[in-house]
Amino acid sequence: MPETVEVEIKGATSRGTLNRRNLLVLLPLIPIFVYLGAFFLFPMSRVLFDSFKSNKGEFTLENFQIVLHNPYRLAFLTSIKLGLVSALTAALPGALFAYLIEIKGSERIKKLVSSLSGVLSSTGGVPLAFMFIAAIGAQGSATTLLKNLGIDLYSGKFTLFSFTGLVIVYLYFQIPIMVVVFTPAVKALRNEWHEAATNLGATRFNYWRNIGIPILFPSFAASFLLLFANGFSAYATARAMTVGNVALVPLQIGSLVDGNIQVGGANIGKALAMGMVLISAVAMIPYLVIQRRTRRWQS
Amino acid sequence: MRKHLIVGVAVALSAAVLPSVTASSANAASAICTAPNLQAAGGMDALVKAAKAEKQLNIITVPRDWANYGEAIDAFQKAFGIKINDDNPDGSSAYELQTIKTAPASKQPDVVDIGITHTGAEAQDSLGRSLFTPYKVANWKDISTDWKDANGLWYGDYSGSISIAYDSTVSPAPTKIADLTNPAYKGMVALGGDPTAATEAFTSVFAAALANGGSLTNVQPGIDFFAALKKSGNFVSVPATGANYASGAYKIALSWSYNGPGAIASAAGIGKTLKYVTPSDAALIAPPYVQAINAKAPHCAAARLWEEFLYSQNKGLTSKTITTADTKLSGSALFAKLQGGQNIWALGAAHPIMEAAMKTKGTLVTPPAGFEIPKGQKTYSPSFDQVVAARDVVNKNWATATA
Amino acid sequence: MKRSLTLYTTLILGGIFVFLPFGSAAEFSFRDGGANKHSLKAYRWILEQPDFVHYLLVTLKLTVIAVVITILLMVPTVVWLHLRAQSLRPLMEFLTILPLVIPVVALAIGAQSAFPTWLQSTEYELSLMFAVLAMPYTYRTLDTGIAAIPLATLTEAARSLGANWFNTIIRVILPVIRSAVIGAVFIATALSLGEFTLTVLLHWDTFPTWVTSISQQNIVGAIALSIFSLAAAFLILIILNFTIFGARTKKVEE
Repeated sequence: MPETVEVEIKGATSRGTLNRRNLLVLLPLIPIFVYLGAFFLFPMSRVLFDSFKSNKGEFTLENFQIVLHNPYRLAFLTSIKLGLVSALTAALPGALFAYLIEIKGSERIKKLVSSLSGVLSSTGGVPLAFMFIAAIGAQGSATTLLKNLGIDLYSGKFTLFSFTGLVIVYLYFQIPIMVVVFTPAVKALRNEWHEAATNLGATRFNYWRNIGIPILFPSFAASFLLLFANGFSAYATARAMTVGNVALVPLQIGSLVDGNIQVGGANIGKALAMGMVLISAVAMIPYLVIQRRTRRWQS
Repeated sequence: MRKHLIVGVAVALSAAVLPSVTASSANAASAICTAPNLQAAGGMDALVKAAKAEKQLNIITVPRDWANYGEAIDAFQKAFGIKINDDNPDGSSAYELQTIKTAPASKQPDVVDIGITHTGAEAQDSLGRSLFTPYKVANWKDISTDWKDANGLWYGDYSGSISIAYDSTVSPAPTKIADLTNPAYKGMVALGGDPTAATEAFTSVFAAALANGGSLTNVQPGIDFFAALKKSGNFVSVPATGANYASGAYKIALSWSYNGPGAIASAAGIGKTLKYVTPSDAALIAPPYVQAINAKAPHCAAARLWEEFLYSQNKGLTSKTITTADTKLSGSALFAKLQGGQNIWALGAAHPIMEAAMKTKGTLVTPPAGFEIPKGQKTYSPSFDQVVAARDVVNKNWATATA
Repeated sequence: MKRSLTLYTTLILGGIFVFLPFGSAAEFSFRDGGANKHSLKAYRWILEQPDFVHYLLVTLKLTVIAVVITILLMVPTVVWLHLRAQSLRPLMEFLTILPLVIPVVALAIGAQSAFPTWLQSTEYELSLMFAVLAMPYTYRTLDTGIAAIPLATLTEAARSLGANWFNTIIRVILPVIRSAVIGAVFIATALSLGEFTLTVLLHWDTFPTWVTSISQQNIVGAIALSIFSLAAAFLILIILNFTIFGARTKKVEE
């Protein structure tokens, strides 16, 4: 507590100035900034740079004008939709599952779940697509089983190779990601606050309303944002499961930059990539607002 | 004193001789790297010798089961003892060019096999110079002028037609593209990939256009055909890969003829019978892929030998019939005995670029059964510009049509 | 007991969702020339491949290095951010989500054009890039885990009780953030083991790319390889969980 008073007195003059104290704070962060700078921002700067270039190498804004129209416009809308739907369908089940395992699971079950979640979080692409085709494709094992029970998955318009199909398949890695990323927060909540609250006589409802949810919410929001970004930018799985009928930006970037048909569109692809950065920056705004409000509470 | 004199003379002599020795071997090396034809490379014996000395050949994005390339690779390796390294067999033409532009020296391909639409500005470096070095194979004149660069920078190698591939359990058996609307084929018809990214799928849409009132200048009917096929439920929007076929995700696909032999063999391995037929309403022969030698090729002699091999029209030994005795023959003798690339591709159900000349000379092998284009059937071949125009239409409309 | 019912129902339902696709593909990998006969033929074929062990080792090596880089880089960073630099957290969150948002294809193109030749000539550039690709997940795992802990209070308490910085880190901070670190390690490991797109575009050959190139020759074999990769990754994580990370759980819970 004494430290807090000290800061309050120095107050407005301390923040934002280049005094020794602020610089010392930044020092241990140098490695991460250097690393990100060298191995990420530097290559991306080339992409940014090229997105303003025409095929002849001259400066132009044309690439960005092109991506505002179809088929790219449709792709942006579909990709955002896919990110949101995927995050929504995976975040709550994943969080609840993580909580359930933490509360009720034995040590062995917790370890099993965490290992399995770790592995499944990185599945994707052709292997994942094949697994689902083998299970619920036209001649999948589950399809055949259900058919024998009288249920025909394919009597209507359902197909695995559509927007809906992608949402279903994405669950396979999105939910595990949620479990891995959210579990540490649940663990801490349980250990520290639950006992304190019950000792002080709080009811379950009070506990959740005043302590549990407010503490978990920022972590939940962070994980949700991650799921959105992941669903938004996933490439290999969508590529293995569609033939251009679901317009997605990562697929278009792939076609432009590493395809066989479109020639000379590499810089348009880079403009698309910059568009994705912009969208995720916008997506972070509501998230940052949430974080700021809860941080005020936390400090 | 005398000792110093002798040493001094020896040093002076070697200083005089050594540069010219190294220069001449360097000249020899660089000579072959700029040799624009077999003659300049010193003839077949010298070329084979130089290639063997290089010991390796870097190729790129060559799937083994594509137009029987696997056989070409095996035969070449076995005959000349040169190891072939294949970078990313499943890659794209854009990947090949990007590799030349950005990869370090150890990863540079010696030769590329790209789509012809990639031979424009894409195939130049930032200063406008070609990425390739000119080389005209011995049989250069047998390549049609439509499909080669006048200066020898690139040259067509083989093309394919679009076939209908179908599982033998499909009934009735399809014979033309128009058949695919049959309600009996619900949930069965697929494309090789995304027509805005994969040449096979793009050419399939083109073929569908021809079969449905379109033309080489009007590809929209092809897009409409697939849109209708999707609505009726016949078209299943899964990439038509071998694994997806094996799991029953689709039963009929429009596919390159030259993927046929490999796919049929693969299907047999998992207990299925796959059949190929040339659609009777649209025999589309796509523009050829083209070969080119990388200007930065690390193995210049091997690269040129490989090109001569691919364009050889000979009938002869295959990878299975080459003996060790053969490999000991002189370069030109061995080369003359080998089955040439043109016939290897023909056996893979592709149309080698020198097909017409070879038919006249009687040196073309019989293609595998089921892949011939029936006599009298009209064939269509789009030009470079027609492909470019069709591509733009497909890019714009495919996603919205098949959503 | 009532509490077990919810847990076990959920586990069973979850288990079905996880193992149905995996099991269906696994059944496929045991096929021998058709849907009626099953054997280990495909797996024997895998083990006979001369390059199998080589590529497995390459991928394992690159994975270990990537995970080590991740831990050394991310754990101190996130701890410091929470202890002393809270105001920089939003910036870091944005920066670390970028590698996820930018499709790998674009990142690969940028890397090819930008990186110096000496960097592109060593396969260790992959480890460096794996750590970047894992950053969105590893940062968030560590961040959410540490955020829910009163790290500042604990640190203050330890310091005011006389612990020096070293002891504070080793005996107070690290045990408390254990599960977050473990989660980060797992995600980084799984990601590095299976990373494909970037590897291919940077012209390297690792286990996943080898699997794809092999698939042309043998459909069932390729599927068996994917099943094998998943099972192997799972085994690695389980072993990690029950040995290195498992030993001290009891003590911490006291």
